[in-house]
Amino acid sequence: PAAAAARPRPGGAAPAARAAEMVFVWLAAFFLVVTLIVLVIFQLMCLADLEFDYINPFDSSSRINKVVMPEFIVQALLSALFLLSGHWAMFLLSAPMVYYNYTLYERRQHLVDVTEIFNHLSREKKRRLFKIAALIVLLFLSLFWMIWSVLEEHE
Amino acid sequence: MRPSAGNERPPGRPVSGFVPGFAAGAPPPAAGASPFGAAAPLARPGGPAGPFAPPTQQQGPPVAQAAASPRGPFGAAPPAAMGGYRGPPPPQGSFGAGPPPPGPFSAAPPPQGPFGMAPPAQGPFGAAPPPSQGPFGATTPPSQGPIGAAPPPQGPFSATPTQGPFGATRPPQGPFGAVPSSQGPFGTAPPPFRPPPSALLQPQSPTGNTMPSPTYVRPPPVQSQPQPVQGYYPGGPNPQFPPSRPSFQQPMQNMPPPSMGPPSSYSNQPAYPTTGPPMGTLQTLVEDFQSLSVSSAPGSLDPGVDVNGLPRPLYGDEEPAKVLEAFPLNCHPRYFRLTTHTIPASQSLVSRWHLPLGAVVHPLAEAPDGEEVPVVNFGSAGVIRCRRCRTYINPYATFADAGRKWRCNLCTLLNDVPGEYFCALDASGRRFDADQRPELSKGTVEFVAPTEYMVRPPMPPSYFFLIDVSVSAVRSGLLEVVAKTIKSCLDDLLGFPRTQIGFLTFDSTLHFHNFKSSLSQPQMMVVADLDDVFLPLPDDLLVNLVDSRHVVESFLDNLPNMFQDNVNVESALGPALKAAFMVMGQIGGKLLVFQSTLPSLGIGRLRLRGDDVRAYGTDKEHILRIPEDPFYKQMAAEFTKNQIAVDIFSLSDKYCDIASLGSLAKYTGGQVYHYPSFQATTHGEKLKHELSRDLTRETAWESVMRIRCGKGVRFTTYHGHFMLRSTDLLALPAVDSDKAFAMQLSLEETLMTTQTVYFQVALLYTSSSGERRIRVHTAAAPVVTDLGEMYRQADTGAIVSVLARIAVENSLSDKLDSVRQQLQLKLVKSLKEYRNLYVVQHRIGGRLIYPESLRYLPLYILALCKSLALRGGYADVSLDERCAAGFSIMILPARRLLNFIYPSLYRLDEVLTVEPDMIDGALKRLPLTLQCLDTAGLYLLDDGFTFLVWLGRMLQPELMNDILGVSLSNFPDLSKDSVERM
Repeated sequence: PAAAAARPRPGGAAPAARAAEMVFVWLAAFFLVVTLIVLVIFQLMCLADLEFDYINPFDSSSRINKVVMPEFIVQALLSALFLLSGHWAMFLLSAPMVYYNYTLYERRQHLVDVTEIFNHLSREKKRRLFKIAALIVLLFLSLFWMIWSVLEEHE
Repeated sequence: MRPSAGNERPPGRPVSGFVPGFAAGAPPPAAGASPFGAAAPLARPGGPAGPFAPPTQQQGPPVAQAAASPRGPFGAAPPAAMGGYRGPPPPQGSFGAGPPPPGPFSAAPPPQGPFGMAPPAQGPFGAAPPPSQGPFGATTPPSQGPIGAAPPPQGPFSATPTQGPFGATRPPQGPFGAVPSSQGPFGTAPPPFRPPPSALLQPQSPTGNTMPSPTYVRPPPVQSQPQPVQGYYPGGPNPQFPPSRPSFQQPMQNMPPPSMGPPSSYSNQPAYPTTGPPMGTLQTLVEDFQSLSVSSAPGSLDPGVDVNGLPRPLYGDEEPAKVLEAFPLNCHPRYFRLTTHTIPASQSLVSRWHLPLGAVVHPLAEAPDGEEVPVVNFGSAGVIRCRRCRTYINPYATFADAGRKWRCNLCTLLNDVPGEYFCALDASGRRFDADQRPELSKGTVEFVAPTEYMVRPPMPPSYFFLIDVSVSAVRSGLLEVVAKTIKSCLDDLLGFPRTQIGFLTFDSTLHFHNFKSSLSQPQMMVVADLDDVFLPLPDDLLVNLVDSRHVVESFLDNLPNMFQDNVNVESALGPALKAAFMVMGQIGGKLLVFQSTLPSLGIGRLRLRGDDVRAYGTDKEHILRIPEDPFYKQMAAEFTKNQIAVDIFSLSDKYCDIASLGSLAKYTGGQVYHYPSFQATTHGEKLKHELSRDLTRETAWESVMRIRCGKGVRFTTYHGHFMLRSTDLLALPAVDSDKAFAMQLSLEETLMTTQTVYFQVALLYTSSSGERRIRVHTAAAPVVTDLGEMYRQADTGAIVSVLARIAVENSLSDKLDSVRQQLQLKLVKSLKEYRNLYVVQHRIGGRLIYPESLRYLPLYILALCKSLALRGGYADVSLDERCAAGFSIMILPARRLLNFIYPSLYRLDEVLTVEPDMIDGALKRLPLTLQCLDTAGLYLLDDGFTFLVWLGRMLQPELMNDILGVSLSNFPDLSKDSVERM
């Protein structure tokens, strides 16, 4: 439906060009989501390593903190992509996470606190697991839409 | 200051019956200043308890019942319940305090005692009406629906013994009141209770004969009128009661005491048919009355409570020495204390133990002479440890296979004994050399660690001083005190001759000092670039004390003069910390920061957050107590990583955000010292003492600590000043004999299969002499299946330590109010659980009972709620003081913590004439009650940090002149002359 909503743009480009554009958008979205998943899984791995004492808290938190801002930015990019390409449903699915990131940032809780990392370990892990779940949903949806638009282009 | 925690809720509110005491706990503000007023209410519950513990089943003659009842609950409970019970019979300890108040009133108070302190609990209990809780319900004021409606049960009972006792008790009182002299009950009462508990249950008659008279020690002053008989029957008073209730709640003065008689007897019955001691609305009323009398209003009732008889921790902390009797191979409790020296066998038992399950570890506690920790060097055999769990060899390890193997007591793995360490076994399987080897016969030993235990060669102890020289520091005389103290300590600094020392002074710029040994005077180099701090010299900023002694001394001599004309008000603490980090980063050591104003320049500058009164009571309240700028936490993490411990001396006369600065100490194993409105004349001595103690006490450097424990249990949370390097490894750049750590245990398995759980604390450190050492404390604790045993082995000092630390940590994320409530809730839950445990077995009825081991716990919890860190709200304690007290609580060992929250009070004027060397014996610790303060006396209050001298109003002027050297008339401010010390 999101794609459908975007399709009938009056005075838009030729249908073939539109379809190619859609494929490109979905492809970009797909890679952004994959990037996000990789980033979040990397953080989760750092946390797990820390829990099993394979890494010290200083390294663990500095590694995590290094990718937190990139993750937030990619997440915002993804939402912006959905918004600009007119995929409202997908935008609504990804927007809450952007908002959540924003509130974390506002409260200055987005970075892992190296001094308290062990006390927050379970909370930080939970946060990221939820993110992963949401991202996987996004991943499958964008995959689906990508295939859909590719098929449409062929028709 | 509020008089007591109880005050926090309106007295009349029907919270939960079982805690009616809270009303008593909250005497009118007039009752006195915080600790003293607070203590007083406690006293009340004691007395009455006696008379109303009605033996349920008794049908005996009234006299016998009366006799039995007073002691019944208490006498019965402790001996039967507490196997380990020793010393004077419980009644005396806990309840002996109160010569029972007069009949009608006595009815209500009993349960209050311990519960008086625990208002918050009320909610839950009011809501929980299972049968066992009946007693609690019973106490609820009648205004609550259930009780008013409850009367039916009385039917059966009106004829039954329950009422008998009361009916019986009353009349006898007259005679008894007259007969016994003041103290009869307690002196005489105990013997009857010594006999085995079983005797207490039924055969009341024998005891009854002996006991009755003593119990009713006190003539009932209140009971001016004969009790209306119908009062004891359900039918009569009920209707009357509800109407009278309102008047009881607020205008207590309106109610003539006699009128209370009748309700007392019946009010309890509805809710608690079985044994129903009289409780209920009356209780609140009675308490109101009692609190009135405690405040010594003229013409008020005799409180009827012997405050001096209540259990009071006048001998400070009691170390659980009996643990050593049961486990002679354990380390001394001064090093390691469990909150209860047992391990519950099942998860369900843990959930019924509402107090924290954990331990307090004080690894470097100072041992008395003759008990020094033995040092063991294994030489070529290497330190003997379990292959799998890395436990160090200890007295509980067993040897097998003729001494060629040893079994680890923690993980039961069979390890090989190295050839060098081999020794044959005797017939009992014990090594022949066990007595010669401290590691096989003592709970505490120190191993010399070989090079595998070093990441780098042991570093020399180093001290780096970061001194604020802005105008406020100069004016307050800080520099002079600090310079003199450091100079006087130079000889005693640890680690001679390797000691390193350095100084950095700062205001709006950083002043480095070159102490190169070839110089005769130190050179000062100023760095003004705060954004990009650099070191002007590669070395000679941190120098060997022996080589550069003369330079350092001349620096210290000149320090006060160097900056005496400084008018710079800025303070660039953040850049100074970075500079110090650069100087010390390679070596580590101790960084002492003297800060006299709010950091205002460069990174890490703080704003005047202010102590906003509007924030209190809201969700934002705790934000004031947590670090504002993440810079300090990051710095702390860097410091820990580089083995630097930070001690903060905050000497500001204004707000200087201890909450933020303190995090430097919190994560580096440091300590926070706070001197509000520092003036050298007033606080100089205190600073001098604390600083020299800090510089010269036994210190372990570059240390890590880990606690291992046997299968099935695990340490989950740690509380104290350290940084966790992995889930169970505490990194401590420096740890000394004044620091203790607390931790909480959890069970990993639902059912414990072992009989004993072993704990081993291992502290790996570099000693001041430059040797790598491992200090190992080993302890064993039995696994029990009985909750009663857990209570019996409870250790109040450890429990209070853990609770206090949890409370302080909670106050960083929650409102003070709810922190206090959580504390009280825990207390009440635990006492209720204990009560339930024995009420079933012994039918104790509506009595409050508590284990001998926890008899001080209610008082300490109250004291904790009134401690600087947790008491009141906005206006009660300044924010900085509150945070500083919180930081102190986080590191204090149990003994000092207890003294901090419940200070020692001494009367001095009586011992002034005593020979100086006799004074120690003559000084007697007094309970913290208002009654103890005589206006003609001179008192000393010592909380371990401060001496408070209290001069009575009526103190003889000559005495005052002699002591203070000031005549009273022109003496401006007493507080300035309080003598202070560490």
